[in-house]
Amino acid sequence: MSPKVQRLVVFGLITAGVLLAVFFGLRAAFAFREFRRHGPPPFAPMEAKNHQPVETDVELIRDWMTIPYIAKMYRVPPEVLLEALSLPRSKSIGEKSLKQLNDEYFPQAEGFVITTVKAAILEFQAQAFSTPTSPVTPAP
Amino acid sequence: MSDFLLTQIINYGAPVLGMIVFIGALGAPFPGTLIVVAAGAFARQGLLAWHTTGLIALVSVVLGDNLSYGMGHFAREAVLRRFQGSQNWAKAESTFARWGGMAVFWTRFLITGIAVPVNLIAGTSGFGIRRFFLYDLAGEAIWIFGYGGLGYLFGMQWEVVSELLGSVSGLALGLVLLGLGVWLGVRQWRIVEARKANVPEA
Repeated sequence: MSPKVQRLVVFGLITAGVLLAVFFGLRAAFAFREFRRHGPPPFAPMEAKNHQPVETDVELIRDWMTIPYIAKMYRVPPEVLLEALSLPRSKSIGEKSLKQLNDEYFPQAEGFVITTVKAAILEFQAQAFSTPTSPVTPAP
Repeated sequence: MSDFLLTQIINYGAPVLGMIVFIGALGAPFPGTLIVVAAGAFARQGLLAWHTTGLIALVSVVLGDNLSYGMGHFAREAVLRRFQGSQNWAKAESTFARWGGMAVFWTRFLITGIAVPVNLIAGTSGFGIRRFFLYDLAGEAIWIFGYGGLGYLFGMQWEVVSELLGSVSGLALGLVLLGLGVWLGVRQWRIVEARKANVPEA
């Protein structure tokens, strides 16, 4: 390797290294700040695991999620979500992401599916939490 | 791309995860770390069984790594025909024989951006397959169970973890390149200085 090429390699490595380190260093600093704001969520007690929803914050719903997945995470019957979207229950619909459903069934209304799903979950949760539970009567 | 892959994992589970990490180990530009962290979160949500998923992912990624090592190994003849006898090649081989284990280990989970080139170089430079396998297995176990474990711990908030790990990996790559550049620069400078010192004064 000629000295000129060697100098070019060194210059290239140092430049690429500095650029990557600055870019990812800043991203890592921001990500770390975010990381510290979000502590790991507590684990649900074993006996409550099958009854409590895994998640309640609808802002964590993303475009790549599917209706059955969301239904399971938020403990909402899939029919409630499908009904809100006026979609039938089928395997192929269950395997599509919210983005795919939006593109296929509501191409004119961007973000319609995710917004409707969030609203349907909030409504379901409000109803579920407001329903008074019958007092437990001790067995005679 | 990552959205599509995530949808496939929640639909079809661990086999798809295994396929993704296997193809990623062969050089496909998949967001492997994001997928592994997400899989950990899916395990916490009860969608995947953490032990079988972890095992399938580990076996798949190690297979992929060893296959790309094999590609390098089979390209060795052609590379040797071109470089055999060259001093630089001999130096590169001996350097990799000395530091290759560490390179394989750290590029499995920290400097993941250069994992595939390291596999190919390991195969081409005649780095022992057994040593490669052991360092590879140790590094990938940290990637799958360590990163996946963080996803498990953070559950639905796994995106925060994935963002942090991805950035740290990029930062590590930048620092390695910078360090390599500085090391090479200093070495060249010393050679030039030594040559100057050896030239007799007129």
